[in-house]
Formats: sequence, structure tokens, C-alpha cells
Amino acid sequence: MSGSLLFQSLVLGVLLGGLYALLAAGLTLYFGVMRVVMIAHSAFLILAAYLAWYFNDQTGWDPLLSLFVTVPLFFAAGVGMQRLLIARLRPATLTMMSVLLTFAVALLIEGMIGLIWSGTQRRIQLPYSGSNVEFFGASIAVVKLVAFVLAGASLGLLYLLLTKSRFGRALRATIQHKEAAQLVGIKTDRVAGLGFGLGLATAAVGGTALALDATIYPSLHWHWVGPLMAIIVVGGLGSVPGTAIAAMVLGIGQSLLQVEFGTTWAQTLFYIALFVTLMVRPQGFFGGRLAQRF
Amino acid sequence: MSLWKRPTLGLTATLSASVLVLTGCSGTSGGGSDDTVLIGVSLPLTGDFSEPGKGVQRGYESWVEAVNADGGLLGREVELKILDDQSSADRVVQDYEALIAHYEVDLVFGPFSTRLVVPSARVAEEYGMLFVEPAGAADQVFAQGFENLFYAAPAIADDHYDHLAEHILSLPPAERPRTVAVAAMDDPFAQGTAYGLRDRLAEAGLDIVVDEVYPPNTTDFGGIAAKIADSGADVVIGGTQYQDAVNLIVALQQLGYQPQLAAFSTAPTNPEFSEAIGDRTEGILAPTGYTTRAAWPSNVEFVEHYTEMFGGPPAEDEANAYTTGQVVAAAVEAVGCAEQGECQQRLVDWLRENEVDTVVGPLSWDDRGRPQSAHLIQQYVGNEMSIVLPRDAAEAELMHPKPAW
Repeated sequence: MSGSLLFQSLVLGVLLGGLYALLAAGLTLYFGVMRVVMIAHSAFLILAAYLAWYFNDQTGWDPLLSLFVTVPLFFAAGVGMQRLLIARLRPATLTMMSVLLTFAVALLIEGMIGLIWSGTQRRIQLPYSGSNVEFFGASIAVVKLVAFVLAGASLGLLYLLLTKSRFGRALRATIQHKEAAQLVGIKTDRVAGLGFGLGLATAAVGGTALALDATIYPSLHWHWVGPLMAIIVVGGLGSVPGTAIAAMVLGIGQSLLQVEFGTTWAQTLFYIALFVTLMVRPQGFFGGRLAQRF
Repeated sequence: MSLWKRPTLGLTATLSASVLVLTGCSGTSGGGSDDTVLIGVSLPLTGDFSEPGKGVQRGYESWVEAVNADGGLLGREVELKILDDQSSADRVVQDYEALIAHYEVDLVFGPFSTRLVVPSARVAEEYGMLFVEPAGAADQVFAQGFENLFYAAPAIADDHYDHLAEHILSLPPAERPRTVAVAAMDDPFAQGTAYGLRDRLAEAGLDIVVDEVYPPNTTDFGGIAAKIADSGADVVIGGTQYQDAVNLIVALQQLGYQPQLAAFSTAPTNPEFSEAIGDRTEGILAPTGYTTRAAWPSNVEFVEHYTEMFGGPPAEDEANAYTTGQVVAAAVEAVGCAEQGECQQRLVDWLRENEVDTVVGPLSWDDRGRPQSAHLIQQYVGNEMSIVLPRDAAEAELMHPKPAW
């Protein structure tokens, strides 16, 4: 194994980790705020990817511009989904039932995508799809770099929103102790709705970033459910920075393992990390002491 | 997963039970009556293989139309009974059991993909049915000892690249590529194609510098591409289906890797391929068992008829399905029967001994059902695929080394 290959793999791993962090950010929010296991998150990612592709296909403009439509749309859909569906589940069985409910939503979205755009595999064709920039001897694909910057910017915004704004404090209070938050006057139901909307808005950004450098098809979302779940458990459920760190560690780990052991074993890293976390530290490695135990 | 597996299991059990009950008490529900020939097929119309599955369906349907317009089989109208196996190997077994025992079909045609052909061929074998299939090309299909199976295409997966291998090995040593990188999906068909070429090149002394296998659900090809680019191999071989080929090629381009020859199975012959890669397809090679431009007499008719029916020309899956129909029809007309029972063995015996003219050329088989021809090699020239090998069928000169992509 040469040094340049190792460095190239490291660079690819960092880019991959950034994308994973963005894709998983919403999942950890839903669970943190509402104890909801959102199976349909990946389906929404793929839906956003399809919308970005369709936007580019119809207008010929850069798919990133579709964010101006999809982010508000997904936010509204998230608030609506929480208020109309999730909020109606019995609190005692919420976590379990949310799996079934969002599983159904995922199937619905997959079927709908297939109905509208057929099962044909799609890919956004951009003038810079195959271009790269040199970085100390390693090549960085422009599309991967754009996705990484998009991930960094949206996660940074999300972090600022959660730590600096009044809404963010209310949201974090709801995550940490719902009853106590209610006692100090936080309308936790409303916060939960907005939190869910925020999670889906990240799916809009994530799906668009994914679409830049992926071939998409309706059933693609099932491939993402497992790895993303593993990331949020390792990162500590409910913690956005924890998720980002876990995503980065696993992304780099996967990329480096791949060099020596091949793709099949590199992919099992997620599940090994999941098992180890559940055995050794069920509250996750980076979530702090308040993180929810699974 | 067990949370939602259970109800499905229960449902499946109930369904199979009802099929059994129905089979037990009725002999009237199915079966070709005296004036029809009923043909049973199970196809992946939903799930992972739904796209090619629907292609095979269109191929079968166009064959049925053509044969009925021509007076049917043995003067009887042909009718298809198609079940959806949802791309699942368990379902496909149930489907063929139901088709043969419950619907009492007169003939069966094969499903799509090696993974579904093997279990369904076993069912057909148990019932002694002739089993001509359009899509199980991997060597594993023929290693099971099936005696009733015939593959209705020019060549098995391992032989797809035969013409390319011959070309490379015929070059004088100075011009011959020296190093080869291989990446193949963990799938019997995809690996069969790539390893057929890899093994022939390795035997001739070329160096295999990268040999990667990836699971079918792989979406990120950055790592594999980095390995191949780092090796600087002269030839890159992809044992691919569709999305993996597109993702891998783009990832290789992103790393600035420029091989002398780049060969990928399946994907490049797909109409979506050049849309996905854009104008950076130049020089990509792919084997193909079928081209609409081939001058076999029945092919000219098929292309015309198919285009009229579906508004576009047929692709390889459609052609192989149509070929399946032609092969079975040839046997039925020659032997003069189409029903379950000892007729099936006579059909099998006839196909063992005879050659059949089809839309992919004349086909004959060895004693395991392997077809005895080879695939054409196509190359992207000016953003369109042209046949480059073998020389006597070529439409364009093979570009070697290929232009930069």
C-alpha cells in the first residue's frame, strides 16, 4: 500500500464522513426530541434527490437551486407529519409504533417515486461531474467538495440555531427533560413539531448533496437506513455534534479499511461499531451524559 | 427486522396453504384447453430486478403477439400466465409450483437473473418440465446438473469477453497491455463476465494488480476507484450491473485515471448510460449478446414488430425473452406436442440435437444447456455504441488505446 493511496483514501473518507453527518443529522433530532425512530428519513433523502434531479432535468439550472423550494417544502411536511401522524401515537408505545408508522411512510414514498418517475436509474449530469481539484497530490472531486461544503454549512447553521436561539434552547430543553421543560413554560408539542420540520429540512439538503454524486433509484433508501441508524447510536441519540463526530470517524474508518480489506468488510464497520456501542456504552460515545440510552 | 417479518411469514403460509387446497380440489381452474397453449412465467415485476423484469415481460408479450398473428403454436392460440415474484428467490419457487401444479400450464419460460433462475429451474426439473430461460448466464446455473435447462442467448457469462481476450492476446508483446485492474459486484453473473476475461489475461501472463469485490448495495465507489487509479493499470474490467458501473466510472474520472482499455458489462448497453455519464463515454467497451442491427431474418421482423408495439427498439433483455419463445416454439413445432407429461422430455431431447434460428443468431447447446456462441464487443465511438469485435461483424475500428474520457 502506497502513501499516496493512503492519503487519497483519507481525503475520500473525510468527504464521505461529512456527507454521512449531514444525512444522519435529522435522524438524531427526531429521536432526541420525540423518541421517534424515523425509518422514512432515508426515503425523504431520496425524494429530495429526485426533486433535485427533476429540477435540473426540467430547467437545466444547477440542482443546488432546488434547495430554495425543497427546504421550505420539507420543513412544512415535517411539521405536518409530526402534528397529524406522530402526535397521535400513544406515548407509552411511541418508539415502537413510530417504527411501523414511518416504515409505512417510507414504502409510500418509494412507491410514489416509482409511480411518477419509474424505476429507471437517474443521475444528475453536470459539467463538473467528473472534474477534480488537486490537494497535496490527492484528487478531490468537485461534486464531493460541494456536498462537503453544503454539509459543513448546514450543520454549522443547525448547531448555531440549537445553541444560540431561543427556539434552540427550548428544543434542547425538550430533548433533555420534557416534563421540566413544560414546567418552565415551553410548549413542547409545538417545539416537537418544529423540531421534526427541522429534521426533514436537513433531509432536503442531504438529499440534494447526495444527488450530486450518486445514481438514484426508488429503492435506494433501504441501503441507507442501517448505516445512518448506526451513526446516530454511536454518536449518542439526540446529539447533533455527537452524530457529526461519529459520522466522520466511521466515514474515515470505512474508507481506510477498504484499502486493506475490501468493500465488503469495510461496510460491516457500521454494524460492528453499533454492537460495540450497545455493549459498552449504550448512551453513545459522543452524546454527553444526558443522551438517551437505547 | 423480526418485527415486520412475522406477519409476512404468516401471510405467505396462508397463501401457500390456500394454493395447496385449491390444487387439491380443482382440476378445472387452469390448464390450456384444447384450443390454447398456456405458458407460465414468473417475473420480478417489482423489487430489485423490476426494470429488467419488465423488459423480459415485454419481450415475451411481443413474441406471443407475433406467434398468434402467425396462427399460434400447432394451430392453438398462445396465452401467457405471468406471476410477480417480487425479485425474491422464495417467491419464485412458489410461483413455479403454482404455475405447474395449480394453473396446469402446458409450458414454462424462465424468469430473470441467475439468482432466480437456479431455484426455479429446480422446480421445473422436479416436474420434468422443459426450462428455457432468458437470463441465467452465470456458470453456476450450468453447474447444478440440470437436465432440462437451456439458456436462450449466444453465450454464458464467462465467455462474454472471448473476442476481446482474443484480440488482446493477438497483439505483439510490445503493444500488449501489461497490468489489469478488476472490480466486480458480488453477483454470479457480473463476476462471471469479469472473471472470464481476467482469467484468460492472467493465464497469458498479464499482471492482475487490483482484484476487488463489492456487495450489490455499494453506493460509494471512491475507495475502489482510488485503488484502481493508484495501481495505474493499463486495462480496467468492471463486472457490473448498472448503477455500480456508472458510479465507478464517474469515480475513476474524478481521480483523473486514464486506462488504455475500459470494459464494463451490462451498463454501457443501457440507453440511460450515456445520459448519466454525459459525453465522457468515449472508448468504453461492453459485450452484448444482441443488437437491433443484426441481419438474422427473424430479427428484422422482431425489431419492426416490437417497435410498433412498444414505441421503441428492443434491448438485450427483450431480445433474449423473444429468443426463449422462438426456441420453445421450434421444439414444439418439430415434436408436435405442447403439454405436461412425457411430451416435455421429447422437447428436451429435440433441443439437445438441433440448432434453432433466433433473433440472436443460430443457437445450439451442450449437454448442460450452455449455448455455444460468443458475444459481440461494442465500443462507444462518438457517444454511440458500435460493434468493434469480431472483425467480420465490426461496424467500426476498435480504438486501442482508447481516447481519454
